Amino acid sequence: MSDFLVELNQNPLFQQVVKQLGLPLPMPEKLRRGRGPWPALPLADAKVVVFSGGRLDAELADGLARAGASPHVVAAGSLPSAWRAAGEAWGRPPVAHGPTDAPPEGLRAHALVFDGTGLETPTSLRALYDAFNPWLSSLARGGRVVVLGRDPAEPGLSAAQASTATALEGFTRSLAKEVGRRGATAHTIFVGAGAEARLSPLVRFLLSDRSSFLTGQPWILDARVRTPAAIHFTRPLEGRLALVTGAARGIGEAIAHALSAEGARVLCLDRPGDEAPLAQVAQDVGGEPITLDITAPDAAARLKEDLARLGRPLDILVHNAGITRDKTLARMSHAYWDQAVAVNLGAVVTLTDALLQEGLADDARIVCLSSVSGLAGNVGQTNYSASKAGVVGYVRALAPQVADRGIAVNAVAPGFIETRLTAAMPAATREVARRLSALGQGGEPRDIADLVCFLSSPGAYGLTGRSQRACGGMFIGA
Amino acid sequence: MATRKTPRARRAVVIGGVRTPFLKAFTDYTRMDTIALGVAATRALLERFPVPRGELDALVWGGVILPGTAPNVGREIVLDLGLPHEVEAMTVTRACASGLQAVALAVAQIERGEADVVVAGGSDSTSNAEIKLPQKWVHALAPLALGGKVAPADYLGVLAQLAPFTDLLPTRPRIAERTTGEVMGEAAERMAARNEVDRASQDAFAVQSHHRAAAAMASGRFNDELCVVETPDGQRIHADGLVRADTSVEKLAKLRPVFAKNGTLTAGNSTALTDGAASVLLMSEEKARALGFTPRAAFRSFAFSGVDPGDQLLMGPALAMPKALARAGLELSQVSLVDLHEAFAAQVLSVLKMLASDAFAQARLGRDRAVGTVDPARLNIHGGSLALGHPFGATGARMVTTMANELAQGDHETAVLGICAAGGLGAAAVLERVA
Repeated sequence: MSDFLVELNQNPLFQQVVKQLGLPLPMPEKLRRGRGPWPALPLADAKVVVFSGGRLDAELADGLARAGASPHVVAAGSLPSAWRAAGEAWGRPPVAHGPTDAPPEGLRAHALVFDGTGLETPTSLRALYDAFNPWLSSLARGGRVVVLGRDPAEPGLSAAQASTATALEGFTRSLAKEVGRRGATAHTIFVGAGAEARLSPLVRFLLSDRSSFLTGQPWILDARVRTPAAIHFTRPLEGRLALVTGAARGIGEAIAHALSAEGARVLCLDRPGDEAPLAQVAQDVGGEPITLDITAPDAAARLKEDLARLGRPLDILVHNAGITRDKTLARMSHAYWDQAVAVNLGAVVTLTDALLQEGLADDARIVCLSSVSGLAGNVGQTNYSASKAGVVGYVRALAPQVADRGIAVNAVAPGFIETRLTAAMPAATREVARRLSALGQGGEPRDIADLVCFLSSPGAYGLTGRSQRACGGMFIGA
Repeated sequence: MATRKTPRARRAVVIGGVRTPFLKAFTDYTRMDTIALGVAATRALLERFPVPRGELDALVWGGVILPGTAPNVGREIVLDLGLPHEVEAMTVTRACASGLQAVALAVAQIERGEADVVVAGGSDSTSNAEIKLPQKWVHALAPLALGGKVAPADYLGVLAQLAPFTDLLPTRPRIAERTTGEVMGEAAERMAARNEVDRASQDAFAVQSHHRAAAAMASGRFNDELCVVETPDGQRIHADGLVRADTSVEKLAKLRPVFAKNGTLTAGNSTALTDGAASVLLMSEEKARALGFTPRAAFRSFAFSGVDPGDQLLMGPALAMPKALARAGLELSQVSLVDLHEAFAAQVLSVLKMLASDAFAQARLGRDRAVGTVDPARLNIHGGSLALGHPFGATGARMVTTMANELAQGDHETAVLGICAAGGLGAAAVLERVA
């Protein structure tokens, strides 16, 4: 499904006309999306401006250098030693800037990273203004903004501290909307106490070309899930066994491809009747097809049989299968209600609970597909929204129960994604859905797949119980 | 780092090495291809160390620019020299580490007991690099050339295949990375910036290389390893052609950067394209004693490494040398001689910085402390590739020869060699004196 405005904006003749006429057209920017498996140096030679002054210099310096970034560090006083050390180790010497220096002429920064973990009072928030007011103009098209703060829910924080930390989120959400039309995205990362070491993989992901459709999101890192034995950034899923439900097409197919590209063996599950496309996907990803109605009473038992046959438990479980049965509530049949809830939520709970007994390995990753609709509500989707909101509650409640096994469980809430389903929407509705977002365009199935793949990786061990939106900064919902 | 648990039953030793003088490409060796150069060096080697021909087991050769019609250069050398047909031969390529790789393979053959006497070396003739026709010609013409009967209409078919008539001219050969397209000098230029190596220190290092090589030539120190080469047009080449005894920092400072505007790499602190060959005679220690040869050195370890060619292409020795040292059970500080291939002064100085960095050791090698600083007095004591030149396949064998000769003088116990190579590769070896 192509997006007319994105394509048009790529046309040099059109760009010329717009420029000549000085039209104030907010044309959506074509997003840069990575292809193939994760590269060893996702940020190779990318200039990343870091506003130092918090507690995360060591983690940022090391993480960025390992990802191949060339850091520009804005710091009051002398440069924290971590930057010199990382520069020496990886041949990425930091360029130091004073807090009042103007950005160098001609600098196109791939990312601006603000370490706000040192901010304690509302007055100190002025540092945000002082950093971004002069430097925002140096952010490249398709760039990234990341604002780091302490977790407002961290025990022992004063109300003023918590409020200051929370303020970062409001700032970033607004900034996401301001930079969105340039294809740039903005995120807040709240780093909980003891979770500092878990920052690098998330920063690497958010600054990479695998997060192009994610924006305006808070991410909360905590130390609940135990640390995995090893974290690799290339082929992170090597040797892992994954199950993706609803894998025959669309987002599920993209997820199967993404997991397989990172080295996982993927069991592709879909309902009876979809054998042909399912077999094709399974063949494409070198995995195995499983035909199963996940709402059948014996679904869990049959899945366990399949795993027993393979002789090993799952390392990754992706609940992607979902259906819509839209009708306004007054006109909705009870069958519609039952079907939507059974597939979207009932099966998720039943299968996960059963597999947790026996069928999921320690250090496993569970990812459930929710929906922006579940967070925001939508006319004609009471059943769907109930089920998708239920998923959010499920992962939140399940996370602490399985964290000591090293299992992380999260949800992904897609916004408007260009799929077979959305292509069938009335044109006007579709156009509104696309444009009412910070990035001004719909996403692609692989945008969801990239996030699911990251959450399935060992490096995502700081995230659990969370529901992350992949919505291009949709204007609706919490 | 795993050290060898089982003691080696057999040890491979260096009897000696010989190399041709190294000349700038497109000068007096232009009419000698890589095979002819290899023949010259190996003939001189076998004259200087007269092994009974029946004792020769094998020849292992390294090369980078291999002749398309005879890529097994090693076998051609054996045949051209009229050595017994039983002397089997192979040719190996590992970019600039090809010569050292040839030695490593020969040593392995001897250690495993498959051979007792092996010639190993390498050569390259940039002057005889083949200009490649675009594949479009090949695909269009090969069926005619290799197929059966040709009808006139088939020629029209060729024309049709070549249309549109673009991309038909041969492209200029470049030493560029296949994956990144980056020329090696550009990669070295980036390394200079990333490791904060300035122009002045590069020039100073290049001058030192020339002065040391010139001193070695003047003192006769290279007589042991050089042979005289007679070219097809009757010239006799006695000495290396690129060494500049009279160069100075002031002279080099005048040169303009060649790989980047405002860059730091010049023709003066980068190696020139070079023609030449080097050949080394290796034996098992028992065979050497039995045949009455005096071993000059033995091998403690080899190591090779690889990095992303798009990152720091020529940093390989900073990873391979610590590996080789660990396998040899040595710290850098315990090694008396360090010989680094000088592709570019910037690359050598970058590698030295990495070896001297605690942060590098912690992040990249899993060590608490830096591998160590290298005292300039024990680094490349007779100069290196910047002054002597760098025939790609020959350099490793040249370094083994020079270091073996130095160890045989009796003042030094051990030497570590480090070579960077295209493709992000690194190679290293540790040599020890044979008492």
